Amino acid sequence: MSLSPVEGVALAEIESGGDAGAPERRDVLGRSPGQLAWRRLRADRTAMVSGVMLIVFLVLALAAPLIEMAYGIGPREQFQNLLDGFGMPLGYAGGVTGEHWFGLEPGLGRDIFIRLIYGLRTSLFIAFAAAVITATIGVVLGTLAGYLGGWLDAVINWITDLTLAMPFLVIALALTPTLVLRFYGEREQVSSAFGVGVLIGVFAIFGWTSTARLVRGQVIALREREFVEAARASGAGLGHMLFRQLLPNIWAPILVSFSLAVPQFITSEAALSFIGVGLSDETPSFGRMIYRSLDYLQTDPAYVFFPGITIFALVFAFNLFGDALRDALDPKSSR
Amino acid sequence: MRPRVVAAAGGAIALVVALGACSKNTGEGTTVDNNRTQTGVIATDPKDSQGPAAEVPGAQKGGTFTIIRETPISHLDPQRTYSFAGLMANPLFARYLTTWKDDGKGGLVLVGDLAETPGTNVNNDCKVWEFKIKDGVKFEDGRPITAKEIAYGIARSFDPDLTSGPTYIQEWLADTPQFDTKWDFKKNKGSLPPGLTTPDDKTLRFEFAKPRCDLPFAVSLPTTAPLPPDKDTGVNLDNRPFSSGPYKIASNQVGVKLTLDRNTNWDPNTDPVRHQYPDQFVWSFGPTADAANNRVIADNGADQSALAFNFVPASLVAKVAGDASLKSRTILSPTPSANQLVINNQRVTDLKIRQALNYAIDREGLVKALGGQTVAAPLTTLMPPSTIGYKAYEAYPAGPNGNVDKVKELLGGQTPELVLGVADNTTEQQIGTQLKANLERAGFKITLRNIPDDAKLDEIKKKDNPWDLYIGNWAADWPSGASILPVLYDGRTIKAEGNSNQSYFNDPTINAEFDRILAMPPAEQGPEWGKLDERIMKEFAPVVPLFVDVAYVVHGSKAGGAFISSVFGYPAFVNAYVKP
Repeated sequence: MSLSPVEGVALAEIESGGDAGAPERRDVLGRSPGQLAWRRLRADRTAMVSGVMLIVFLVLALAAPLIEMAYGIGPREQFQNLLDGFGMPLGYAGGVTGEHWFGLEPGLGRDIFIRLIYGLRTSLFIAFAAAVITATIGVVLGTLAGYLGGWLDAVINWITDLTLAMPFLVIALALTPTLVLRFYGEREQVSSAFGVGVLIGVFAIFGWTSTARLVRGQVIALREREFVEAARASGAGLGHMLFRQLLPNIWAPILVSFSLAVPQFITSEAALSFIGVGLSDETPSFGRMIYRSLDYLQTDPAYVFFPGITIFALVFAFNLFGDALRDALDPKSSR
Repeated sequence: MRPRVVAAAGGAIALVVALGACSKNTGEGTTVDNNRTQTGVIATDPKDSQGPAAEVPGAQKGGTFTIIRETPISHLDPQRTYSFAGLMANPLFARYLTTWKDDGKGGLVLVGDLAETPGTNVNNDCKVWEFKIKDGVKFEDGRPITAKEIAYGIARSFDPDLTSGPTYIQEWLADTPQFDTKWDFKKNKGSLPPGLTTPDDKTLRFEFAKPRCDLPFAVSLPTTAPLPPDKDTGVNLDNRPFSSGPYKIASNQVGVKLTLDRNTNWDPNTDPVRHQYPDQFVWSFGPTADAANNRVIADNGADQSALAFNFVPASLVAKVAGDASLKSRTILSPTPSANQLVINNQRVTDLKIRQALNYAIDREGLVKALGGQTVAAPLTTLMPPSTIGYKAYEAYPAGPNGNVDKVKELLGGQTPELVLGVADNTTEQQIGTQLKANLERAGFKITLRNIPDDAKLDEIKKKDNPWDLYIGNWAADWPSGASILPVLYDGRTIKAEGNSNQSYFNDPTINAEFDRILAMPPAEQGPEWGKLDERIMKEFAPVVPLFVDVAYVVHGSKAGGAFISSVFGYPAFVNAYVKP
């Protein structure tokens, strides 16, 4: 990751100097901020463990169809013959067997493991895409508003306030049926990609405001610092000022807000799907699964446990990694 | 610090799972015998209508009987009562012209309540009906109840300010659905609606323009509760109805708590169905279905003599049913609320496809998806088993899981593409997923389309709705085929919007049958409806009957006598008592 404009140059110069001199001088070798951050990150065990967990989750999600092939059960297959008369899974721990690793859903009798894997894919994709889009919009608008100020700042602030004031649920609820009708008519199958798209769109429209405000504040604080003044005085253009001088210094809060946004989007996706915005019951979704399983806390705790522990691990890993990343990038900040 | 937090959190979750996982579910004891034989008759012997009601074995006087419900009763004013909770609460403080003597096992007899008999069909043409009022019936202030007060009760139900009650009697008297413009209650307070007369204090007479053979049933609804004109507080009667039954309103904290005390002026010798065992009835509103059921299951303190009015939620069913010690504290009974997969007959015109749908249905799987036999019971007929004259049959024997071979044979290689509209609430989403998988296994291609929950009913009642299939539900107001089949399948009633005939089924021969049977004396109609039910299914298959809702209710260890009403499918309290 390139964090400083001088990184490459400085590195080359110092290293060439080092090569010429005595080898024992290597231990005072100069390192770029990026390298230092990476080293700090490597040294942090929590960061490594949570990072590996995140990668495992990502791989599992991406490999969902492959896992389905290996596992031999699809996300929509029903095994109602393995349910008792009340629709509860037979056997131990919600129907856990060698064939159904995490047991079966009560009622419909679908396999929890494969739905979890597919659900992870849907939900992680939605949450990641939404978080990336909101972060991008937020950062761009925030830096522009903060750095340029004046009428642009006023306009962007005004848009932010307007977006915050808009009733999110009402608009989402009103918009979805209209869009569905516009694109699919009254009788056509609504594809799950459409539901995913609507969810990402809704999150993108309403989710960028907090990042924008955060970034704007940070940029305003940095704007009058000496190094910025110096760069401006030496005649740096707008692009250089924004991307080389300001942004590298506010990565930490952006990353933290990003890492907090992802789990928040996963849970919002569940809530929204439930009121009819976004995904239907057919599309395996992590959030929806958790939402539904909560009813069975007393009678089929295993059904709550498997999705519950997964989202717990996912969110926990995300937060820990986000924390560690911030520490690594900005070691001076107090914790 | 962090590793310890992780360990603690992980440990806590592991513990929860271990607790849940330690028992093996073998599926034993999960079949439910909820068979009940439904017999319904209209009392011909006046003795049936006389009080007192037979003593409930083991019943004792005294105590407070509590009923816990999530939402308040929408209306207490008898003329405005139409919700199930209201219909079950009303008999405690209101008496009607006729009422159902219900043994809680499906045996129903329609008897006179305030009337000596369930009505006299004066000219045997169902156009003129007479009811003789009993001696010794009194209001809570000791005044005698006469035909005048009953007539006034019916008259005030014409008031457009007092809406939301049943409208059968009003529409029949006015002979138009716009009854409140035909006869204005506010302008004619001293008089009675057209066709309603009180020749003397003891006689109430109805005269209709058309034959109305179902009148004895219709007057069993709270519209016929009596009210003296000087006690009519208009819309405020909702807060404090004037009692003619065994209890009277002691206090009413609207939306929170309703307390009923004994009414000393009620004479048990005049009442064929009600008792007066507990000192007090308390309706308590607020706790969710989950919370209320858990409280009653816990059986502590005052909850020992309480009953959770909301059925055991599907998620708690396994817990309640799996606990043998709770068995004596639960009531399980199918209700008359029938659910169908309605086929839009305007779109699916091919009889073979409709028949194939009937063969394809996997009722066992559907019942499991809904939460098991304590939530739903399979149904293969148009009328629910609780209807008078019900005839059990299977027009399309699908077996428990559907007959795929028969479907393939009927479809002859084609794959019909059908659109199934489901409301976006939890239950219908579940049903939709289940039905789609089920029908696609059988060789259909199903497209699921969501309908916003609050708009669903209005949308499917539109004649030109875009879906081929949707879930329909019908709970009749009285257990007669006349309140089911002509309402749901008479094609002449189809209009642009607001149709009860949601399958848009229209066949002249069947329409003629409706007219023929409706003109018969009510006591003879029963078996005819049963036969017609089978004929419609065999010849036309306009819907796929799915299941009837099952009532599953928990009460405390000291609550006794409550039973599931065979008419409405909710707990009835006329026999309720508190064990000492």
